[in-house]
Amino acid sequence: MTRPLLTLLIAGIGVLTAAEPRKIFPYAYEQTDFPNGLRLITAPTDFPKIVALYIVVNAGSRNEVEAGKSGFAHFFEHVMFRGTKKNPPQKWEATMKAAGAATNAFTSDDLTAYHATFAKEGLASIIELEADRFQNLDYAENVFRTEALAVNGEYNKNSAQPFSRIHETMRNAAFDAHTYKHTTMGFLTDIKAMPEQYAYSKQFFDRFYRPEYTTVIVVGDVKAAEVKALAEKHWGGWKRGTYVADIPKEPAQTGERKGHVDWPVATAPWISVGYKVPAYSDSDKETAALNIISALAFGPTSPAYQRLVLQEQKVDFIGGGASPHVDPYLFTVTSRIKKDADVEPVRESIVSTLNGLKDTLVDVKKLDAVKKNLRYSFALSLDNSEAIAEALTRAIALRRTPETLNNLYTMYEQVTPEDIREVARKYFVESGRTVVTLTGPKAK
Amino acid sequence: MKLLLALFSLVLPAAEVVAMPGQSPIINFRIAFRAGAANDPAGKAGLATFTAAMLSDGGTKAKTRQQLLDEMYPMAARFGAQVDKEMIVFVGTTHAENLEPFYANLRDALLTPGWREDDLKRIRDAQTNALKLSLRSNNDEELGKEVLYEQLYTGHPYGNVNLGKLSAIAAMTMADLQGFYKAHFTQANLIIGVAGNYPKGFVERMQKDFASLPKGSPAAVKLPALKPMAESRVTIVDKKTRAVAYSIGYPIAVTRNHPDYPALLVASDWFGKHRSSGGNLYQRMREIRGLNYGDYSYIEYFPSGMYQFEPDPNMPRRSQIFQIWVRPVEPPTAHFALRLALFELDRLVDRGMTESDFETTRDFVARSVNLLMKTKSAELGYAIDSKVYGIPEYAKYIQDALAKLTYAQVQAAIKKHLRKDRLHIVAITDNGEALKKMLVADEPSPMKYNSPKPGDILEEDKTVAAKKLGLKAEQITVIPEERVFQ
Repeated sequence: MTRPLLTLLIAGIGVLTAAEPRKIFPYAYEQTDFPNGLRLITAPTDFPKIVALYIVVNAGSRNEVEAGKSGFAHFFEHVMFRGTKKNPPQKWEATMKAAGAATNAFTSDDLTAYHATFAKEGLASIIELEADRFQNLDYAENVFRTEALAVNGEYNKNSAQPFSRIHETMRNAAFDAHTYKHTTMGFLTDIKAMPEQYAYSKQFFDRFYRPEYTTVIVVGDVKAAEVKALAEKHWGGWKRGTYVADIPKEPAQTGERKGHVDWPVATAPWISVGYKVPAYSDSDKETAALNIISALAFGPTSPAYQRLVLQEQKVDFIGGGASPHVDPYLFTVTSRIKKDADVEPVRESIVSTLNGLKDTLVDVKKLDAVKKNLRYSFALSLDNSEAIAEALTRAIALRRTPETLNNLYTMYEQVTPEDIREVARKYFVESGRTVVTLTGPKAK
Repeated sequence: MKLLLALFSLVLPAAEVVAMPGQSPIINFRIAFRAGAANDPAGKAGLATFTAAMLSDGGTKAKTRQQLLDEMYPMAARFGAQVDKEMIVFVGTTHAENLEPFYANLRDALLTPGWREDDLKRIRDAQTNALKLSLRSNNDEELGKEVLYEQLYTGHPYGNVNLGKLSAIAAMTMADLQGFYKAHFTQANLIIGVAGNYPKGFVERMQKDFASLPKGSPAAVKLPALKPMAESRVTIVDKKTRAVAYSIGYPIAVTRNHPDYPALLVASDWFGKHRSSGGNLYQRMREIRGLNYGDYSYIEYFPSGMYQFEPDPNMPRRSQIFQIWVRPVEPPTAHFALRLALFELDRLVDRGMTESDFETTRDFVARSVNLLMKTKSAELGYAIDSKVYGIPEYAKYIQDALAKLTYAQVQAAIKKHLRKDRLHIVAITDNGEALKKMLVADEPSPMKYNSPKPGDILEEDKTVAAKKLGLKAEQITVIPEERVFQ
């Protein structure tokens, strides 16, 4: 039975005051593991008429271990739209259209996700359609080569944005061995060479497009039993694979690193300060503490924001944090600064703000405000089936279960001022720091 | 009965209301004013945006910006302004548990703004950077679209991008903002939208609170008829960039409440639905030929299309354009890509769509219209827009119209409202003079591919590559990036 949304949401929000923590994810969901390794998660909601289907492959640019193959997971996301014998692209489009579907896909470091949001009448036909392309993808070399050009076009459309280049430069400088060295988009040289990688693309599909890497998420106006039967029928026969990527371990960083981007046209300068931090965890308090620090130190109520944005007005944007990753990644603080002369003072502010956390314990009231914000933000974000499926997708990339959301929010509740101080002392160290700046041409 | 109602409305608070009571503990607000950038006085382009930001991002009389942030932060409540030509909307979201403190701040922000000098300075910088850096320098795709609008509406109240002009923003004073506020933030312009599990009597309370605004009188800006375009024009924005982005279009007579709107919507969605791989332009340009990341068409303003799949509501306009958006292409294929987009437009105008494409697209639009309203906030926004346009609830309006729509009507609407000549083409490119020279020379631009193509595509390419654009040097203007929005 679908439990009504209201009861569930209230149950979730009750956590704010309850002595005994309750779960942040308010929907009753069903998680099924098929013998071939495929996982199905169904979360019925009472948002009417619409179903959101998200298919998550636990492989992203992190899995691109071979030289010259950066950007391949994302490229392959494009290739997945090139059809099967039974459902060539036009037929795929027609089935999706008949259900009024909005479809797309995205790739990040740790996942690739394919999604469709559609009228509920389309459920059976779309589950069957998607099962077909994951199992029977079939594309010729000529369409493969054409698709590589679209990826180049995607690089082009992003290239006018300074943030893309800062991000690229930060990762390249901060990492030596781990695949997080390159962005999900990949190095431009590798993108240019993609048309030549047809044979490799077959291997890529064979390795990662397997049930043990895949989770099917269905959220919306559905019944779990019906979804399960459909999944079993269409995805049950998919064969398990054997490949496991050997992802290089990043050696400990031993000194501060720097990177710089010369922007070709006039721009406000940017700075990004990064520190190496551990992988996502929902079983100890470090991830939770780092997320809280990003809000305490640079959020809209932080002293740094108050000074830099509201009083001195040296910057018009500052923010950051540790985006959750499967392997150790970065805590970054990025800012757009109004004048070149303020780049150094802003860098100094960022560094001293984080250093300050090592000595002074944060105010419990401020800490509680952040915890409250985290819970309300999450509750307010779940305002439609697609958004709920997206929240689950991010969780699946990290731990392959919605429970990780509940675990993480339990950790948030437990973080103390002492935890904040300990995490700051451990990770905000000069030897783990990378600073990237971006400036325009010097004024003539 | 009618007379009675009219009298009644004289004694009741004047604000119009769109109320959607419901069970959700997420409470959404959309407080809309029927005024916008079209009301910017001469020489003060950007005033509507500046004024709205002063309310949404500044302090109130009672509290500083910092105090507001400190109070609102734990609630994770959202509050922001969106400004278009004829509507300014304040969008807010809170959890029902925080309704009282949230509403008190929202009310004060709109009714008793703080007008502080430090807020003015910060918001001026933010608006300047949004225009100069985020739009002009760092986003070739949105830049192309906005320059197209500016060019098509030159000398018209829609003639400036909503963010305004850099020189005007630099000169704006507190008195300018207060003057705009006084003139346009009136009861006559106000539509209150609220959705969710708010308490009984809440809407009436809002109406009473907002009755403190000046009465005003509904006075939409007079929109002069646009001068017919005698010939095609090209505006090339010259800036250091990797690729070449195009936006192409012309004004159309069709807005959401026009009888041909549903027909033209079907035609445009077939031709190039936003971010859909099913559109014809996308198929011909990207899927078959790999020219770029995507190619789409529009009959309504859709900013931020680079980031969003669905348009935001509350940008009602009395004049719209038909627009083709060609995402950045590699410079060697720039000439061919432009020709192909125009070749496809020719085909749309000459042949329309097939009957079976019509049926498929009609059914698709009827189903997918529900996705536009997948959030309560969007549903509320669409309801406000429907009120402004004087049409029924949007999904029902479209679905009912499509149920009756015939193939012949769509074909007729294409012929009547779309054309293949007298276009304005905007290109964002490095070395604008070189592009201009190439366009004027009008030499064939054969395509080379990295893989074999079917024979019919290669045949078609010959026609496309040789397609005469017939543009003369005097029809093409190259402007350096620094002069845009100046």
